[in-house]
Amino acid sequence: MERALTVDQRWDLVDRIAKETVEVGAYKPTLKDALAGITVNPWTGIPFAIAVLYGFWTFFGEFAGLFTDGFFVRIFGTHWIPFLGEKLAGLPDWAFTILVGDKAVFAEGFVGDPCFAAGGVLTTGLFMPFGIVLWAVLALFFVLAILEDTGYLPRLAVLIDTVMHKIGLHGFAIVPTLISLGCNVPGVTAARTLETRKQRFIMIALLGVFVPCGAQIGMMEELVPGMIGWVFLTLAIGYFVFGWVLNKIWPGESPEILMDVPPYRAPQWSNILRKTWMRTRHFLFVAVPFVLLGCAIVMVLYATGAMDAIASGLEGLLASVFGVPASATPSLMVGFLRKDLAIGLLPIGAMTNYQVFKSVILLSIYFPCLATFALLLRELNWKEILATLGFLVAMVFVFGGVLNLIGMAGGW
Amino acid sequence: MNKVLLMGQANVGKSVLFNHLAGAAATVSNYPGTTVDFDKGHMMIEGERVEVVDVPGAFSLDPKDRAEEVAVRMLEEEKGATVVCVIDSSKVERGLYLALELIEKGYPVMIDLNMADVAKDVNIKVDTKRLEDILGVPVVTTVATRGEGLKELVSRMKEAKPVETGKIIEKVEAS
Repeated sequence: MERALTVDQRWDLVDRIAKETVEVGAYKPTLKDALAGITVNPWTGIPFAIAVLYGFWTFFGEFAGLFTDGFFVRIFGTHWIPFLGEKLAGLPDWAFTILVGDKAVFAEGFVGDPCFAAGGVLTTGLFMPFGIVLWAVLALFFVLAILEDTGYLPRLAVLIDTVMHKIGLHGFAIVPTLISLGCNVPGVTAARTLETRKQRFIMIALLGVFVPCGAQIGMMEELVPGMIGWVFLTLAIGYFVFGWVLNKIWPGESPEILMDVPPYRAPQWSNILRKTWMRTRHFLFVAVPFVLLGCAIVMVLYATGAMDAIASGLEGLLASVFGVPASATPSLMVGFLRKDLAIGLLPIGAMTNYQVFKSVILLSIYFPCLATFALLLRELNWKEILATLGFLVAMVFVFGGVLNLIGMAGGW
Repeated sequence: MNKVLLMGQANVGKSVLFNHLAGAAATVSNYPGTTVDFDKGHMMIEGERVEVVDVPGAFSLDPKDRAEEVAVRMLEEEKGATVVCVIDSSKVERGLYLALELIEKGYPVMIDLNMADVAKDVNIKVDTKRLEDILGVPVVTTVATRGEGLKELVSRMKEAKPVETGKIIEKVEAS
């Protein structure tokens, strides 16, 4: 039988062993240490953080924009979609509608962007993931990998620690939050590093409701670039206000922690590229099939006339509570599958700016995508799942309703 | 030896090591708690196929969060496994605590003093021979990110063996 030591005895033994074997020499602070100091001191660290995040955001926008607007809008809009429209013109109507989409796109005098207006599985269904979202998530994953590998994330965690304690979390919650901006699925998994059930519940509920994913951000950047700042601000307000509420009402502990801040390291490019690729591959294999499926479902509902029936059934609710037209129904329906697809299906031309804004917010908060929801079922217990769902419904009505009232007051 | 668990505190380089050993692609980052679930892979040691498990970081065997729970459960399920305790060479004391716990539990343990480059940068020297003598288990030095020392690590895994805590205490007191 081995001898079990008490914690104190074990530390005592560790000390004695270390005394025998470890020799700590004189140490001269280096440039790295100076940088480490600057980035965690609030006076210099907060401006530094803003600069870093703004730089990364700019890179993301420019990179994604270059590929989408520079190449893919043209490839799909002027070549691929007209080509399909011509080649598949002989198909029966229902098949044409599902694969290619709305015939009106190919009529003389059509005004609009065929990439979105067509709507078929092989047109819009391919354009959204490969023409837009792929480049957005690629850029985001790349940027996140750099943040992860340099060791900057734990510094951000130190800076934001005080604020996060107000919502029952602590600074390290910035890690799942930022990872969720790439994709909610690894973000929710990363919440496992939080200490208590209460913290994990609050974190996962906030991630699922208020943190948009890279695919969704990519679509917003393409379709509503002018209001993306407002969308982020609104979601951030929701994140903190309702995090604060959850912290007040949900039982449990939110302990203080000692955070381990690793030294800065030069990222290894091989690792950055491998991580970016692995996450992008996950997007291609897991997300793209859902986008295509979502397109097919919407087009089947259109072709059978079911969409009109559902839309007119929801018209009253949408108009009275949220002030959103019934034409947003298809988008809200596929939001369960994929948020990026849902944003792509918003009838932007047929809505006022404020209606578009409200719809984008509603899409962000009303339900996590299917993949994230599947993960919630695994990470949370039944009580927490029901609470999360209740929270979701409450958020949709509170947020949607309040935004609608603000809009009415402002006359938008 | 048919199974090797890579254990250690968060952010000491277990996943980097795992990727080298198992030719795998576990996610690696520079913050504690990147790995929250275990990854499994295989490597060949002298013609023998050995399973390698990348266990989430744990400060001790008294779990404080769910990732640590996974680590402790993993360990309990793998009674016969060899445990490579990965330690940040610049923070040896912390790593030794977990190493002692693992030894007390009766696992065949070996110690990998990883991140030797970082220790050198901050001018910390570890007497590996002496450490090996005191603990009675193999101790090797590696820089996993550059692949340094991995050969010795692998070739000495079979020397890992259970040690009585009492022996370690005797050794320390004798000096």
